[in-house]
Amino acid sequence: MLLLVAAFSIYGEDLPPVAQWIPADAPIMVEVSEPMALLGPLLSPEFGKSVTTELENGKANLKLQEFQGVVAAVELQLGTDWRTGVRRLAGRGLSFCVDPSGATLLVADGEDEKLLSKLNEIIWQFASSGANQQDQPETEDSREHRGVKTWKLGTNEVHALLGPRLVLVNRMSFLHKVLDLRADAGGKTLASSALFKAARDAVGKEAVASVFLNLRTLRETPGLKKALEEDGNPVTALLLSDTKAALRSASWFALGVYVSSEKLILKTYTDGTAPESARWTSFSTPPEASAGLLPPLTVPGTIASLSLYRDLHSFYAAKNTLFPERTSGLIFFENMMGIFFSGIDLTEGVLGEVRPDIRVVVAKQQYDPAVGTPATQMPALAAVLRLKDPQRFGETVEEAWQKAIGLANFTRGQQALPGLIIDKANQDGVKYTFSYYRPPADKSSGAIDARYNYRPSLARPGDYVILSSTDALARDLIDAVKKAPSTPAKTSPAANSLMEIEGPALSAILQANREPMVRKNMVDKGDSREKAESDIQMLLLALGHLDHATFTLRRDASRPQAQLEIRFK
Amino acid sequence: MRPDLNDPAWAWAPFQPDAARPWDLRLAAHLYRRAAFGGTWPELQRALSDGPQATIDKLVNPKPGAADFDRLYDDYENAAAASSGYGSQAWWLRRMIESPQPLQEQLTLFWHNHFGISNVHVKHNASLFRHAHVLRQRGMGSFEALLDAVLAQPAVWICLGARDNGRRSLSESAVRILMEQYALGPGQCSDSDVREGARALSGWIVTQGELRFVPGEYDAAPKKILGQEGDFDRKALVRILANHPATGHWLAQKLVRWFISDTAKASESLLAPLAKQLTGDGSTAKGVEILLRSNLFFSAEAYRQKVRSPVELALGIIRPLEGRTGTVRLAADLAGLGQELYEPPTLQGWAGGLAWINPLTTLGRMRLAEALLAESGTYEGKLDPGAVVSRHGQTTKDGGRQFLAELYLQGDLAAETLAAVAVAPSTTGSTAARSADPRQIAAHLASLPEFQLA
Repeated sequence: MLLLVAAFSIYGEDLPPVAQWIPADAPIMVEVSEPMALLGPLLSPEFGKSVTTELENGKANLKLQEFQGVVAAVELQLGTDWRTGVRRLAGRGLSFCVDPSGATLLVADGEDEKLLSKLNEIIWQFASSGANQQDQPETEDSREHRGVKTWKLGTNEVHALLGPRLVLVNRMSFLHKVLDLRADAGGKTLASSALFKAARDAVGKEAVASVFLNLRTLRETPGLKKALEEDGNPVTALLLSDTKAALRSASWFALGVYVSSEKLILKTYTDGTAPESARWTSFSTPPEASAGLLPPLTVPGTIASLSLYRDLHSFYAAKNTLFPERTSGLIFFENMMGIFFSGIDLTEGVLGEVRPDIRVVVAKQQYDPAVGTPATQMPALAAVLRLKDPQRFGETVEEAWQKAIGLANFTRGQQALPGLIIDKANQDGVKYTFSYYRPPADKSSGAIDARYNYRPSLARPGDYVILSSTDALARDLIDAVKKAPSTPAKTSPAANSLMEIEGPALSAILQANREPMVRKNMVDKGDSREKAESDIQMLLLALGHLDHATFTLRRDASRPQAQLEIRFK
Repeated sequence: MRPDLNDPAWAWAPFQPDAARPWDLRLAAHLYRRAAFGGTWPELQRALSDGPQATIDKLVNPKPGAADFDRLYDDYENAAAASSGYGSQAWWLRRMIESPQPLQEQLTLFWHNHFGISNVHVKHNASLFRHAHVLRQRGMGSFEALLDAVLAQPAVWICLGARDNGRRSLSESAVRILMEQYALGPGQCSDSDVREGARALSGWIVTQGELRFVPGEYDAAPKKILGQEGDFDRKALVRILANHPATGHWLAQKLVRWFISDTAKASESLLAPLAKQLTGDGSTAKGVEILLRSNLFFSAEAYRQKVRSPVELALGIIRPLEGRTGTVRLAADLAGLGQELYEPPTLQGWAGGLAWINPLTTLGRMRLAEALLAESGTYEGKLDPGAVVSRHGQTTKDGGRQFLAELYLQGDLAAETLAAVAVAPSTTGSTAARSADPRQIAAHLASLPEFQLA
């Protein structure tokens, strides 16, 4: 009997869904229904120990020391270790929402009402003594609204305790609204909103967390409005134009977070559709006959590999719709293409010769010890295209590439800078063209110039064209395309973009660039060297736990859907 | 009786505080503004207890560790110069904020303005960094050594439009700038001097980004320059120019404008003692030291008689708050206010003075102050006036406001203006919020007309 009473006092009142306390017009709502599914691994003693060890090994322990100091003080006051504390204070759910005026709310649903009260007392005492020292006692206040005691700390923090639920807002008026809805004093709630329900249904019950955006409201905010417009950037248009078009017509957008056997999966949903009638959306829609993408290519040291279905001919034929303004950048691009391709019509004569299978590979590069290693080590980057008729168009591409290198050399020569030397070589029976800078005469000053990251190369194995920033990657890709299947992988429903990221390789290239990243952080953020090192170490540590990530963009019943799968070590 | 400002004996005599002109926070901060881009509260308090001359000793003499600091920052800047963007400028700004020798950075900026070498023409960050490195290394020493080192920089010749100084392709316009702008001052040489000077520089050609001497292109015939005859080459021309009395006078005039006043008209007799220190065996450091120690420097003719350049404005906000902030964005913002480091608009440098102020830049200066001191946003709230207020023992709202006013404006603010700072409506909150928020108070102070003056 005693145990039963104790259990009730710990679990407190039965908590209704937070959405029932939120006004219906809230444009953003984030719910983490199973915090431990997300935080559990991070709260494990094993993870904590590995973080401590790695940070100490990296001598980036400033944050760690600060964190440990605060944690120890709180643990002492609460009489529990922090991992247990987090579980008992927020283990049943976390919610965050923003109302149209910009007020924010955070709700933490815990399991231990007493522990929450104790934490509140500690914070209140601490804040009150601090405010008195700062001669600002009027910023602390405690009142009641609809029978609930509210606590005000400073100018931007108000909270209330409702059993084991902590409700934290940045404006008192918003807390009053929430408490009015809780008391059923009139007003529609988010839980009854048709848009919110539709988003919830799409995300499903198996999600451990979800994000809901009311796009009818948010689309009017200048930032999002601008982001959803066509910006005249051809790369953005090529990758995202139909997704943007769908979001422009959508009422809501949702993100579901799922946990499945060592994988974290994030999926987006929306009710918006890209207009099928618009000619330009077809360039990224694989026809039923092919129904998918070619598998991404992999080479030794692959960091990321991207496979796209993009019909460049259809894309550029719709340029007047996609880029209504003839920007100077577009005119320059067309002029240069006219020079490289000897005046051949860009849409029909050039892009019309390229198949819609486009692949991009990013890989770590090995530097020739005889040349040296640049201070900033750029990964090698290559695009792999397929030609419809390599016999007819292959040499035109070769000619254009050599003209581009010649033009780069001419421009560099005008600035008295060293140029590229063009050479030919053979890889497994495939002749390829590469270019390189003369090795530096004086390597005594340490790291060599950043230009030694580049050895632009072109290879044409079969019907493929490989445009690579280094000859080593071009050679690896010649080998890779020979082995790769030339028929699409059956990705269903029809995916038009697939990117794979290899965690260890990404981590390795960032580790190789640790010093430049530390320096960049110092001037970007104004941090001390110690702080910058600590931040970069944290980033490397986080990435060190990434094993593999896959990002897919597809259209499901005319609606764009993105999915990110992350596998941790 | 008001002293005669054009009396060199009085003007250059070391300043001795007296009842009429006591050594107080205002003068200590004046010294730090001009020689160190602004002082922190501890620096100002230390200066008050040390007195003016001992404080100047500290500012002009290298501190322990300064060489290590320079080596480290040379490495940072050198690496940043390998890429495009604001990296090089960002590191220089960071160096100005952090340097244990801020006077050295002031002088580097002075010489950068004097020579006016711009990356708009050079288009090579690394070359500009090497140029600035020379200005920093040689800027405190003799002008002859500095000019010699500057003329060994390919960036200078590229910017002057004189890549090719062959026997038959002498760039007289470049030599005129060298003689009139860099050394003697306007109107101090004839067309013949310029022609003969160009012959002395023949043979120096920039190729593949390097300055090379091609003996076959050198005109070895005797020359007559500024009344002297001989087989003058580049080194000899530098010696003639650097030791000419007009050069000392021109440099003295520019240093007085840089350190004393945007508008003061210094007479020839006033400048003469300073000019003498800047040529021959003298050094820039010695000249600047005389200038900083002088009665003239601490006189009313100098006090708040300069408009802060954008760089001085930003550093004047940052340095007193004992912090630092992201300088990549700062470099871009300063470019927007008209001062893009490594890109002075002309070979005469920035016009300076009142040219810094117009309706657009006034608004931009206010926005920069707000952005630097905001709790979040572009500069991520890295500067924290509230923490500085607390650190120096101010625990009340009024005390904090008074402290920030003293730190930034040292009693140069009328009581009614300070009262208005307390009650002016906040851009983001209520009047009460402004009166309590050190960030908003500091931003308001830094936006006032008084703060725009150094």
